[in-house]
Amino acid sequence: MIQETREEGRGLASPLLIVVDPHSGVPVYRQLMDQIKFLVASGVLRSGDELPSTRTLSAELGVNPMTVSKAYSYLEKEDVVERRPGRPLVVQATAGEAGLHERKRAQLRESLIPTVTMIRQLGLPADEALDILRELLTRPPDEPPAAAPSREDDA
Amino acid sequence: MRTLAFTNVHRAYQRGRDVLRGVSCQLERGEVVGLLGRNGAGKTTLIRIAMGMLEAQRGEVRVLGWDPRREPLAVKRRVGYVSEEQILPEFLEVAEVIALHRQLFPDWDEALERDLRERFGIPLTSRIKTLSKGQARQVALLCAMSHRPELLLLDEPAGGLDPAARREFLETSIQLLNETGTTILFSSHYMTDVERLAGRVVMLHDGRVLIDSELDELQEKHALALVPHDAGITRARLLAVEGCLGVRERRDAWHAVFHLAPAVAHELLRAELGVAGARCQSVALEEMFIELAGGQA
Repeated sequence: MIQETREEGRGLASPLLIVVDPHSGVPVYRQLMDQIKFLVASGVLRSGDELPSTRTLSAELGVNPMTVSKAYSYLEKEDVVERRPGRPLVVQATAGEAGLHERKRAQLRESLIPTVTMIRQLGLPADEALDILRELLTRPPDEPPAAAPSREDDA
Repeated sequence: MRTLAFTNVHRAYQRGRDVLRGVSCQLERGEVVGLLGRNGAGKTTLIRIAMGMLEAQRGEVRVLGWDPRREPLAVKRRVGYVSEEQILPEFLEVAEVIALHRQLFPDWDEALERDLRERFGIPLTSRIKTLSKGQARQVALLCAMSHRPELLLLDEPAGGLDPAARREFLETSIQLLNETGTTILFSSHYMTDVERLAGRVVMLHDGRVLIDSELDELQEKHALALVPHDAGITRARLLAVEGCLGVRERRDAWHAVFHLAPAVAHELLRAELGVAGARCQSVALEEMFIELAGGQA
């Protein structure tokens, strides 16, 4: 089953779903990639959705257009988006639920890399680190961890 | 042909103070390069040499293939220049200043001039001396951009502007980049602007190029290591580690910048110096700048 493609022309409602933080120490192109991948993996952006043009996004975010185009070409290489001649960039179709699930896994894997680095620097054994992760996952989300850049909570 | 090339440029002022002591760097067409350095590092001098306002005492400068001291007209027609200290004749009206520039440049683009004028919303009949700092800078920017220069040289263009005016300036630069792919060399103390606009950064220190790196690489392949004094490591031993660019002493720890990814730096410190408690992380450009500028011997 191929995931349903939305009606033509639907896109990122507002490029402001993406924010750039020049204080983070993460290169801007990386920040763009991470946020677009998160939007895709979390289902906010679906197969066939259009992305803003390089020009639009660079103007909206106030960043160098070369940076946006670098982010877009890496996303293309990673099969997150696809380019069709003369058309806007769109989110690539995934093979149904399984594909989306795969994207979620990939997203989580990537976002855990800094945590893994931290665990190594602290010198904690893997078992102990996993115990902590398990404990955190089973704890009720009273105080949600400040990891996922979900903006819907603000509403 | 490179758009801008400095080769081994030297410049000293009177009383024997060297400002530039052999600076080399190149800008390819379409590149946007942020020129960083502390006050007195030589940024303004370097930009003035490119404009032909100052002469290099040794070394070579080429702007679009020309020597700016020998071909000043050819260079000035294709280059735009804005500086923080630029002074517009304050008794003239905005319209008169713009007209003056229009006459100087055969390639003046009136549509772009109008577009920028409307964007900035500057009244044409105002006298320069009645304008705010931000408005005056916008007039200077309009005059520097309306002939669609192949190279823009901006010396602290946002200096003294409020955040909204700075953002406006940044957006205008991005618009120009989008439309024409203009090559830009700009000096700035606003590291957040540099992060947004620059593809590459060149950092001057003590009259030399300390860093010349793609910005992405600077962030991904450089790390700040915090090495506690408890570890008993000396500054010299840290500096001797391969890839160490500078060490700064803080109250409880050494702050060392490495040209290595954080994880690699951490591993190297453990393997070579036996330091287990170092924290290695990537840092924003502003922190990197402070560490590097403050961490030189």
